[in-house]
Amino acid sequence: MHKVVKTLVKERLVIVGGGMAGSKLAYELCRQQSERFHITLIGEEPQLGYNRIMLSSLLAEEVSSADMALVNLEEMVSSGATLISGDPVQGISVEKKSLTLLSGIVMSYDKLIIATGSRATMLPIDGTQASNVIGFRQWQDVNLMSAIKGSQPVSVIGGGLLGLEAAVGLAKRGHQVTVFHRSKWLLNRQLDTESARMLQRKLEAMGVHFRLGASPQTLLQNEKGLVSHVKLTDGEQIATKMVVMAAGITPEVALGKKAGLQVNRAILVDAQMKTSCQDIFALGECCEFDDQTFGLVAPIWTQINVLLAVLAGNHARFLIEPVPTKLKVSGVNLFSVGRIQPNQDDNCIVFNDVGSNHYRKLVVNDGLLVGAILYGNVADGSWYFQLIQNKTNVSDMLDLLVFGEAYCQSKVA
Amino acid sequence: MTTTVKTTCPYCGVGCGVNLSLPANPNEVVPPVSGDLDHPANFGRLCVKGSSLAQTIKSDDRLLSPQIDGQVATWARAIDTIADKISQVVKDHGPDAFAFYLSGQILTEDYYVANKLAKGFIGTANVDTNSRLCMASAVVGYKRAFGSDTVPCNYDDLERCDLLIMVGSNAAWTHPILFQRIVAAKQQRPSMKIVVIDPRATATCDIADLHLAIRPGSDAAIFSFLLQESARMGLVDDVFVTQHTNQFDATLQQAMESTPDVTTTAAFCGVDEHDLMTLSQWWASNDKAVTFYSQGVNQSSSGVDKCNAIINCHLATARLGKEGAGPFSITGQPNAMGGREVGGLANQLAAHMDFATPGALDLVQRFWQAPNMATQNGLKAVDLFQAIEAGKVKVLWIMSTNPMVSLPDTAQVRRALEKCELVIVSDCKAHTDTTAMADVLLPATGWSEKDGTVTNSERRISRQRGLLPAPGDAKHDWWAICEVAKAMGYGSAFDYQGVHEIFAEHAGLSAFENNGTRDFDIGHYRHITQAQYDGFTPTQWPVPEGKPEGTKRMFADGHFFTQDGRAQFVPINPSLPALKATQQWPFVLNTGRLRDQWHTMTRTGDAPSLAKHTAQPYVDIHPEDAQRLGIIDGALTRLSSPHGEVRLKANVTKSTPQGQIFVPIHWTQQFANAAVVSNLIPQTVDPLSGQPESKHGVVQVERIPLLQYALVVSSRPQSFSEALYWCVIPSDQGFRYEVVWPNGVNLARLKEAFSPLQEALCVERNHWLEYTNPMTGQLRLACLAGGRLDTVVYLSHQPEVVSADWLLSKLASSDALSELDRIALLVGLPANVEDKGNIVCSCYQIGSKQIEKAIASGSETVEALGAVLKCGTNCGSCIPELKHFIPKRMELSA
Repeated sequence: MHKVVKTLVKERLVIVGGGMAGSKLAYELCRQQSERFHITLIGEEPQLGYNRIMLSSLLAEEVSSADMALVNLEEMVSSGATLISGDPVQGISVEKKSLTLLSGIVMSYDKLIIATGSRATMLPIDGTQASNVIGFRQWQDVNLMSAIKGSQPVSVIGGGLLGLEAAVGLAKRGHQVTVFHRSKWLLNRQLDTESARMLQRKLEAMGVHFRLGASPQTLLQNEKGLVSHVKLTDGEQIATKMVVMAAGITPEVALGKKAGLQVNRAILVDAQMKTSCQDIFALGECCEFDDQTFGLVAPIWTQINVLLAVLAGNHARFLIEPVPTKLKVSGVNLFSVGRIQPNQDDNCIVFNDVGSNHYRKLVVNDGLLVGAILYGNVADGSWYFQLIQNKTNVSDMLDLLVFGEAYCQSKVA
Repeated sequence: MTTTVKTTCPYCGVGCGVNLSLPANPNEVVPPVSGDLDHPANFGRLCVKGSSLAQTIKSDDRLLSPQIDGQVATWARAIDTIADKISQVVKDHGPDAFAFYLSGQILTEDYYVANKLAKGFIGTANVDTNSRLCMASAVVGYKRAFGSDTVPCNYDDLERCDLLIMVGSNAAWTHPILFQRIVAAKQQRPSMKIVVIDPRATATCDIADLHLAIRPGSDAAIFSFLLQESARMGLVDDVFVTQHTNQFDATLQQAMESTPDVTTTAAFCGVDEHDLMTLSQWWASNDKAVTFYSQGVNQSSSGVDKCNAIINCHLATARLGKEGAGPFSITGQPNAMGGREVGGLANQLAAHMDFATPGALDLVQRFWQAPNMATQNGLKAVDLFQAIEAGKVKVLWIMSTNPMVSLPDTAQVRRALEKCELVIVSDCKAHTDTTAMADVLLPATGWSEKDGTVTNSERRISRQRGLLPAPGDAKHDWWAICEVAKAMGYGSAFDYQGVHEIFAEHAGLSAFENNGTRDFDIGHYRHITQAQYDGFTPTQWPVPEGKPEGTKRMFADGHFFTQDGRAQFVPINPSLPALKATQQWPFVLNTGRLRDQWHTMTRTGDAPSLAKHTAQPYVDIHPEDAQRLGIIDGALTRLSSPHGEVRLKANVTKSTPQGQIFVPIHWTQQFANAAVVSNLIPQTVDPLSGQPESKHGVVQVERIPLLQYALVVSSRPQSFSEALYWCVIPSDQGFRYEVVWPNGVNLARLKEAFSPLQEALCVERNHWLEYTNPMTGQLRLACLAGGRLDTVVYLSHQPEVVSADWLLSKLASSDALSELDRIALLVGLPANVEDKGNIVCSCYQIGSKQIEKAIASGSETVEALGAVLKCGTNCGSCIPELKHFIPKRMELSA
């Protein structure tokens, strides 16, 4: 029996994907486990390690590129990490434990982490292949949007969080933005009609136009192959200079699938973020755990912490917890968590201050808070979130619950 | 420079002296009044009602000019109208077709001229007064025993007695200053025994050594028993009884038959035998004993008998006319006594003379030079209103009282007033339940404007002094009466140059051919001048010529004002109230006053601070009765009797015994839609005194299901036509209502009902704040107009207690409403909410002010802020903004 001798040779840990999950993981590994791992971070975008969430702020010109950093890349390099950008991975050989980059580089790994994220979902309609139809996922998308000069008609397809952020950013840049949304109200998965109406009014005041209950049938292209009009199912045509697709995201799983990993909607992982293949992990928007995929940052940070522990040889388990929704539009405060469309045996407590655009709806079931929508004043959001998470019995404070923590606490006291 | 004048409080019968100051500038608010240190009734003390008098000096809803059939008229026309109509009905139907219905609120001089006009010049004795409802039984009780309506005691006796028996009196609330004097005396001499006899456990019981919670109306049996116990224990003063009284043996015999022993008596009264024996022992061992009695005794179908049962005990033991002893009737009103003194009751003639008093008619006729003397008793209050309904009385002049609220069986009173050909109402208020029934309204001066005298419960005459000018066309009541008399051709008899001349004439009549034959003699004042009248100091009558210091105590000499000079024992067979509870009407209803309201709230209703004690009318009900009926505290409850219905909120309390309920008397239709308790009371009266049994009704009590309870606070007056119940609560800042609707009110209906006027709507388009909670049934709505609070409505399926004070303060505030204020409007109170400022970190809801605070405490980097506040540690997108905060603070500190 050979005793395992501790060598100075570090394990090669490669992270595919330089988005928020990959970069943040790489950064934390550099700080915590750079003795043990040689870390390589590979991204397809020219930029690594930026805060993707701030793209809407960048688009709205509320922050500059200098504000975009999520992690300190220089610090990573000086701790010995290898950073590769603008060079997407083309394939993974599970047997050889190696991968090939677009530039032809082949590199081996001891541990591989897939963090390829997701891409904007393209609607299955004609015209989406045109070059002026873009998603709102990457820095490059912001650059494209910023490149349109003057006051132009722009279409955003999808009235979800991302679509609205894009729409506001574009409107702030002076464009005439129309949002096409299939549902009857905005953020239909996070808001009810009343709060959505307040939001819509607010965004309209910012210059965004809305077509609700409207689905584009075709994106009509001009002779240059650019989309010039959005054609609706009723035949109406609306001129446009650009189309931003914000009708959802699709996990980027091509690489994993090709490598033979088990993939459903996304790459399947266990509670330790392990894929079906030895030494390969996945996290972020490209992974699927317990039938769920992830689009918000909070669970992904948790995944990173789990993975950091697992890689350090410690025990850790990833658990899914409800996550509240917020919209990153400056001047708009909204908060939504849990079950906001009441079931038959749910009760809704509603506070509505139309004059100051302040709305609260709480969904209560059998003494427990199960969902909340706050619009306007969201200061109590995290408290409601805790009540939901902790399954706190709220029966004794039903008469004050909607007025927030301070009132309920003073009643307890 | 302020002018300060000594005057007298216009509330209860204690008659406290008040200092009223008037600012030099008439536009300034009258400062709060203070108690007159020199007045022997109160020595500077004032109760909360009296202390709030200045708040009632305001012009809200004053009647400012005469009105005929709802149209403003001149005094000249109003007086001609009245004089012509009286002359016509007297000519067509005789003098008894006219009647006065006066009040213990008016002054002695007002009373005097009214009585003189009616009984001497028009020729009718139909001069009755709301004092009929208050102490008529006490009057008859005294007259039966003493031959005169003489209160033998004074307030000192309350402090000097060793045993004080308080019967049918919640003096703690109704006569607070006397009560305070008693409390102080007991503190000084803890050996002093206080016994309270009352079916309810009232605030007065707080100082009682013994509380006998008797069966309603059984009071006389207690004193019948005490009389025969006095005999059994040898307490009877044989010398006094033999030399100065009649009828003792028969009376004792009756007592022994009615209340033969403690067991029988205790069973009749529903009290513990041991407690009854304690009373008996204390009666035996304390020679200095005062029995203090009030409406609980008087308002009874056997009220006179109760009074005489009490007086019998004092006569038998000679416990009267001495320091610390006597049967002491305490009157409810400020000048009920003054009314009695001039004879302003239908069964009196004048100056403590009756129609039956030998020679009295002739004497008074000669004194007045009266052309048309009435010759026999007129109609007492209840009979009077029945006669009006029967068409016998055709012109009624109501002065300073509110019979639509205070007389029993309001429906009958309404029918009578509707039937009456001419209803004249003199009042200082434009809107009362009674002014609503008037054909002619006469604007009267009010307290602080009126000039004259009043007499309190201890026979003490004091001046009420006018300090403020009469508003509008308001005139003194005596002036209005004299003008009508002149218009009817009696000018020479009513041509007074000032109110002191009326007082002088009144004094002259009291002394006229008196020579000690009549108790009421204030002959000392018969030539009083204006200056003397102005300098009048409070004095207890009799004040005969040559005795200017007045008289502290009566009957010290054993001489009474009967034909033979001897007091009369009256055999009493105790009886219970006329109506008994039945299966259909199972509850016994008791009524009474509250501490901080007065009568029908025409004055106290103007003082918002007085509404703080009890904001709304209510019905006291015992917890077990309430539970059986499914009534919870605060729930709207229907009380019905054969005569009518009221709807009140339940006050579940053990202070009222099972099977009995209690309702305060004060709320009129000006303050609540369905709270006039007289609706439930039958017109049962004492056959001798004519005093109604207002403290006894039999009623049914029901829970009213499926209701919505509301608090409404508004800057505008609101009306509630569809409400089962509404009550307006006085406020300086706006309008506060408590309302109960039947189920079915929703937000849309509320919005419709409480929308401000169209022009206000234009100020701010979006102005509704709403809160709905189906689990609690809460529905709340706030309406803002121009950024300021206009109206809030709180609705709930259960009675809720929400303090309206803060909401009212918001009505008055011109400060802009913050977001937290706006939430608070629907909560009803401000929360101790940390103002976070604008939210910077939306992941953890961290606001600008929290960040600034953390930076000030030393967290001067983004990481440090994240460590203490968590801001920026989730999505991180607020980090650029966080960075902006840090230099900001550095600049500030630099």
